[in-house]
Amino acid sequence: MSYDDWFRKDRLPHIFCAGCGNGTIINCTLAAIDQMNWKKEETIFVSGIGCSSRAPGYILTDSLHTTHGRAIAFATGVKMAKPDFNVVVFTGDGDMAAIGGNHFIHACRRNIDMTVVCMNNQIYGMTGGQGSPTTPKGCLSSTTPYGCAETPFDLCELATAAGANFVARWTSYHVKELEKSVKAGLETPGFSFIEVLTQCPTAFGRRNKFRQVIDHVEFLKSHSLLKAKRDRLVEKHEHVPEDMFVVGELTRRNRPALGVKP
Amino acid sequence: MKLVIDEIRCKGCNLCTKVCPYKIFREGKKLNRRGIAVPELDRPERCTNCRLRNLYGRQLCGVCQLTCPDQAIHWIDEEPYEPHKVAIEY
Ligand SMILES: Cc1ncc(C[n+]2csc(CCOP(=O)(O)OP(=O)(O)O)c2C)c(N)n1
Ligand code: SF4
Ligand code: SF4
Ligand code: SF4
Ligand SMILES: [Mg+2]
Repeated sequence: MSYDDWFRKDRLPHIFCAGCGNGTIINCTLAAIDQMNWKKEETIFVSGIGCSSRAPGYILTDSLHTTHGRAIAFATGVKMAKPDFNVVVFTGDGDMAAIGGNHFIHACRRNIDMTVVCMNNQIYGMTGGQGSPTTPKGCLSSTTPYGCAETPFDLCELATAAGANFVARWTSYHVKELEKSVKAGLETPGFSFIEVLTQCPTAFGRRNKFRQVIDHVEFLKSHSLLKAKRDRLVEKHEHVPEDMFVVGELTRRNRPALGVKP
Repeated sequence: MKLVIDEIRCKGCNLCTKVCPYKIFREGKKLNRRGIAVPELDRPERCTNCRLRNLYGRQLCGVCQLTCPDQAIHWIDEEPYEPHKVAIEY
């Protein structure tokens, strides 16, 4: 068996634009799930609204494609009613951090046993490129035509502060690392959150000087700072570059969780 | 095993040309029926997975397959008695 067996092959090719990183993230998540020996009948994918949220439609298991921002709320319902089910949420930065922000922090606080994969393209892709709570300072979007002036959310710090048991961040370049982190998240009882920074050539790249898809992926690669390296810099009181983001497994702990398989 | 790109799924994003350590994928030049320039393969028999998958009995490397956003990269078995190409990199 391989992760390829989890796709609804009759629905492929999917509707994502050429070079959109969402497909890569689905691959890595399914590759991790494939190693879990989970039955398809006992696995359910939940999503909200957005390009990223279309992911469950391409997967062979039962799924819920719900309303904008409410993926985690619906997933909470599924998990509390059916603790035997394995629940995985696909969501976007707008879906999860803007309209769904409250559901997100409270699911972290309750530490509900599910894995949330956030495809963070730092923009509202589906609706044509409005700025989201994770659009970096200075970046152009249709609602920040002179450059975003607001400070973006650090979703991983938010999840850690709110109480999640497992938190990791990778990019669409780090496919093997991402696969391993998703697997670790699936294995951890309680709320697991994996943020994946990814390219959206159509709504983000086009406006922000990433002419080619490869340029954006190259940027994600070169601006990733491994957590171990960041920790070493901090320890030695050296300068941590501000324009880089930390990648790696950021939190792993064993706080009391809700909805864990009996 | 043989590396193949599914022409129906590939959208020509060229991400595979960036991630393969052996540079097996090269930017395509000819547009196909759907108007997409599918990457060309440069001596795919050099790929780790093509050479060693059957020997090890598991997927090796596979970075291009995980990265391909359109699930277009696969491996297929050779036909019985199909001649195998061997490429040795120095
Ligand atoms: C209640 C409600 N408000 C607004 C919308 C419009 N809407 C659809 S998708 C979307 C943003 C999606 O952004 P994100 O979650 O980042 O997904 P992406 O497309 O970037 O993957 C918005 C605002 C909606 N469908 N429902
Ligand atoms: S608009 Fe952006 S996020 Fe949506 S499918 Fe296209 S590239 Fe992907
Ligand atoms: S990564 Fe996939 S979709 Fe993109 S060019 Fe290569 S084979 Fe085609
Ligand atoms: S499996 Fe690895 S070596 Fe083989 S073609 Fe893909 S990226 Fe290159
Ligand atoms: Mg988005």
